Amino acid sequence: MPNNYVGQRVRRTEDPRLIKGLAHYVDDIALPGTLHVAFVRSVYAHAKINSVDTSAALATPGVVAVYTGKDVAGKIGPVPCASALPGLKVPDHRVMATDKVYFVGHPIAAVVATDRYAARDAVDLVAVDYEDLPVVTDVEAAAAGGTVIHESFGDNIAYKMTAGEGDIEAAFAAAERTLKQRILHKRLAPIAMEPRGVLARYFPGEEELTLWSSTQIPHLMRTQVALMIGFPENKLRVITPEVGGGFGSKLNVYAEEALLSWISMQLNKPVKWIETRRENILATIHGRGQVGDIEVAFKNDGTITGLRYNVFADLGAYHQLLTPAIPTLTGLMLSGAYKIPAIQINITGCFTNKMATDAYRGAGRPEATYVVERAMDLVAADLGADPAEIRRRNFPRKDEFPFHTATGLDYDSGDYEAALDKAQEIIGYKQLREQQKQARDEGRLMGIGVSTYVEICALGPSQAMPAGGWESATVRIEPTGKVTVLTGASPHGQGQETSFAQIVADELGISINDITVIHGDTGVVQYGIGTFGSRATAVGGTAVFVAVQKLKEKAEKIAGHILQAEAGRLSFEGGKYSLAKAAAAGAAGESEPVYPVGEGPAGALPEPQTEGRTSLTIQEVALAAHIAKELPPDTEPGLSATYFFEPKNFTFPFGTHIAVVEVDRETGDIKFLRYVAVDDCGKVINPMLVDGQVHGGIVQSIGQAMYEEVVYDEQGQLITGTLMDYALPRAKHIPNFELDRTETPSPVNPLGVKGVGEAGTIGSTPAIVGAIVDALAPFGVKHLDMPIKPEDVWRVINDDSRSV
Amino acid sequence: MIPAAFDYKAPATLEEAVSLLAGDPDGAKVLAGGHSLIPAMKLRLAQPQLLVDIARIKSLSYIREEGNQILIGATTTHYELESSDLLKRICPLLPACAATIGDVQVRNKGTIGGSIAHSDPAGDWPAAVLALDADLVLVGPNGERTVKATDFFIDLLTTDLQPGEILREIRIAKPSGRFGQAYQKVPHPASGFAVVGVAVHLSLNDDGSCKSAQIGVTGVGTKAYRAEGVETALAGKSLDEQTIAAAAAHVCDGVDPNADLYASSDYRCHLAQIHTKRAIQAAKA
Amino acid sequence: MKLEGTHELEATRERVYQSLVNPDVLQRCIPGCQRLERTGENTFAATIRAGVGSIKGVFDGNVRLEDLREPDHFRIVVDGKGPPGFLKGAGDLDLQQEGAITKVKYAGDVQVGGTIAGVGQRMIQGTAKMMAVQFFTCLGAEAKVAPGEPPPKQGFFRNALRWFSGWLKSLFRR
Repeated sequence: MPNNYVGQRVRRTEDPRLIKGLAHYVDDIALPGTLHVAFVRSVYAHAKINSVDTSAALATPGVVAVYTGKDVAGKIGPVPCASALPGLKVPDHRVMATDKVYFVGHPIAAVVATDRYAARDAVDLVAVDYEDLPVVTDVEAAAAGGTVIHESFGDNIAYKMTAGEGDIEAAFAAAERTLKQRILHKRLAPIAMEPRGVLARYFPGEEELTLWSSTQIPHLMRTQVALMIGFPENKLRVITPEVGGGFGSKLNVYAEEALLSWISMQLNKPVKWIETRRENILATIHGRGQVGDIEVAFKNDGTITGLRYNVFADLGAYHQLLTPAIPTLTGLMLSGAYKIPAIQINITGCFTNKMATDAYRGAGRPEATYVVERAMDLVAADLGADPAEIRRRNFPRKDEFPFHTATGLDYDSGDYEAALDKAQEIIGYKQLREQQKQARDEGRLMGIGVSTYVEICALGPSQAMPAGGWESATVRIEPTGKVTVLTGASPHGQGQETSFAQIVADELGISINDITVIHGDTGVVQYGIGTFGSRATAVGGTAVFVAVQKLKEKAEKIAGHILQAEAGRLSFEGGKYSLAKAAAAGAAGESEPVYPVGEGPAGALPEPQTEGRTSLTIQEVALAAHIAKELPPDTEPGLSATYFFEPKNFTFPFGTHIAVVEVDRETGDIKFLRYVAVDDCGKVINPMLVDGQVHGGIVQSIGQAMYEEVVYDEQGQLITGTLMDYALPRAKHIPNFELDRTETPSPVNPLGVKGVGEAGTIGSTPAIVGAIVDALAPFGVKHLDMPIKPEDVWRVINDDSRSV
Repeated sequence: MIPAAFDYKAPATLEEAVSLLAGDPDGAKVLAGGHSLIPAMKLRLAQPQLLVDIARIKSLSYIREEGNQILIGATTTHYELESSDLLKRICPLLPACAATIGDVQVRNKGTIGGSIAHSDPAGDWPAAVLALDADLVLVGPNGERTVKATDFFIDLLTTDLQPGEILREIRIAKPSGRFGQAYQKVPHPASGFAVVGVAVHLSLNDDGSCKSAQIGVTGVGTKAYRAEGVETALAGKSLDEQTIAAAAAHVCDGVDPNADLYASSDYRCHLAQIHTKRAIQAAKA
Repeated sequence: MKLEGTHELEATRERVYQSLVNPDVLQRCIPGCQRLERTGENTFAATIRAGVGSIKGVFDGNVRLEDLREPDHFRIVVDGKGPPGFLKGAGDLDLQQEGAITKVKYAGDVQVGGTIAGVGQRMIQGTAKMMAVQFFTCLGAEAKVAPGEPPPKQGFFRNALRWFSGWLKSLFRR
């Protein structure tokens, strides 16, 4: 099939409405009579609630109702956790606090009013009598003892887990060399540009509930909310309007979604809540939050023989949907891009008096890549070897795929050397090292950081997923020849309305403008899993692709029947089914009149003119399928196909990032000199979208490496409460990227696609940190924890105990 | 992020504004660009009952050269100051300082008067007007008075502005003879405010040595201040590298440098020293 | 947050100590204090309009004096709640006589929570120090006056403080 679209930088069909401000986000949906909700949230990190006095709030004009945790505790089920790790302690976390709060931001009461101003004013009038309790913020201290957050558990350890294959003890016992490094992954706030928002509307007559939510998983949410409020799932409709970013923070089922649904049923009115930015930083899940030690056993030639990661995971005060599962994803990727025969992860997942952590772009895998890559740099430094060479020495070869790792995974395909070669070539690695030597002689502090990463995505085989890892698609051609694609994926900025249309357009030989891709409406789209884990194209796109093949099979059957083709004598090209001789004639330049669908008397749909035809457009086939007068025997009318794709494996994108920085001796300022990224996400549907994902991922990596950190003080107060203190990178903080690709198709799906949504975030951070540490190598620095700020650099340079 | 209820009036004249303030001394607050006040209101940390909007009083916004003075109306925006060709010619410290504030959108709303009256410990204008030894003209119910910038900034967010008074004009002596100016700022990566900000005005002798220096520093203490230790160490000296470095070392004298999440007090003081040095070098060039 | 410092007051240790534990003096000197009522032997209920610049809020809370060792030491424990957040603190005050001067050394710990903690981190220390200075400046004037005499009306410090607190009040909401 000739590619008109796939592989091209097709402009997004989403963009015109977004750029013109015509898209509808949750807050843009205006229903008459909507009531507004504002939350009373705990100002203490750990406290008993002695009483909640809502009388003054209720007396405020405009306030319609005030619900407390006690009002709803028996009526709405707990906020769900989908992780089923053995021995996992799951707190019974209700949508609002009843007699205890355990993190700042914990919702205590919901004020419902006729406008959002009255609601917010009344929040100040709700009087909560707290009795504060000692606070647990340090994750290692939480594990060691002291105040227990959920008393019935007896301690703050939610779970312990050990995983990995190979004889790790033997590896360390026999090692020629070993090293160990303590590594911190601070908490990050995903900060999607659009905070969360929920609008719920109950129709008492029809007993139907519609829930609009800025989410990444509309169908899964529908099921969960239905269970939480005891409502029939088939009468609950979840719609995702335009979603302004998610990054994993909206891969969740939050208290507000169930609570607003329930409130709407109590009041028989639409009810809306829009998160403020402060609430977003406070009470939307955080990412990362690990404190650990990486230990490596290796030979004198740099071959890694064993790797162990002992980690405390800061889960927060309770579990959101995937909270405990995230560190287990770290364990899965501890082999990195290397052949490591023995690997072990030891996880202690702990409760602390903070907001729950959960999936944030990379979800456990950035942590893995980071510790492995830091380990490789430390090994190189220990041996006085080049960090790129040490990595290369440990790569599996291209022909060793599928490659089984000591973490129990089978990497699908990969050519790590090709990506490294390409990145080194683009950046001129050898000359760069020479430049560095010269710079050092001149007293300038230049650093080069290399990261060769692999990541696991396209989640995933359902055996390994909590609620299904397949994805669904329906493709149908309407009577007028327009194509509708219904995808269970739930894009929130990724651009699948465009990329899926590209796939379908090429397969059907039609214009991309005749295709519409619908998602995010459980009333319209068949059950789907949603968009996260870089799965939309690899899993969702494959479902679309296979559905189109099924569709084409049927169309071919119908066309063959109408054209009275002999078996095997029908070709499909340029959107047209042709008899062999007609195809030949077409090739010779002759053509046959085509009767465009729809050009009949006004309002009438003309029947296809099929007498004596030697070719039929696919649109004509679609019309014929609906008029149903000339269908082959045993063929259902209509032209639509549905497919649920169950992937047999994850996919493993990979690449090499190289960062070059220079630090200012006087101030510790860090400046990027160059940034090269060579990423392999398998087959590329739309290079522009892939570039965009890599850009975004690198930017969020720069954020983690140099700027971002969610800070709670010892009393559990969130002190980076606004964007005045939580430093997101701005355009001026970002270097120009030099991006390139290798393309190693994945055997896991017919598209050959791996996925790229999180790869940039995963591969980039270690390159940046590696570069900064490399710049400071003359001072004997081996490691610095993120975010690395100018003051941290300055302290290294000015530490008298270090040699200059 | 929703403020408490408030009333709003947009008087047409300064006199009207003053009398509105006098009518409700407890609850009335002046609104100009709003980029310090409105965030505080949205966080409910400030809850004025009446906002008196002076941004619409056209007569309060101007940049004029009058005799040997530069007169700037209090509601002149940062952007207007940044892009003033007149100022670039006769007093480049002002546009240089303006250009470092926030971003383009903020600069089109924020005003020099608002910034000075608010006296954020990391605001840029206080450092610049101190370095220029400006006079500030205040109007209140008892009439008009002029206060030297060096007497105006008293403590954290605290100025000499009395209840009911409005800052209406900033007056700067037009720099004459040979002079050099520069503003060096370390912007906070999140807020854009000055982690440290150093405004330098050097009066130079014909041979390029320093006749006198005026150094305004922000971000380091609870208010902007003149670094007199630096000024004394430069006065009458030649501006070679050693002298500058030695002088810059005094920039935190007498001040207890702030410590916050981004920078400790000794790093902050160190940054102030480095940027004082760089500002002086840029000014003399 | 640690809060510590030393202030020198021109009065005897006894006079300073008595002023420090005198609720009328405390009510006049704690910046923004509108109400300080005795609720027990060494406990008080207070309402304070605290803040700086245009940032302010009303806090309701309690003050407790402990560990009273006249005239050289006592401990003060405070807690307050208001829309902008809450604060809890405790501090030790030690008085040393040096000639005609009393050196008051204070060392304390203050926890702040709520909105001010979330957004005001860079200004909390400065605000606390400023309030401490205002408090001790006022205390210095009060301590100069013998007990039973009317509180100081004349004098530089009192005038300075009067316009200061008047100015502060003018920015307060209610």
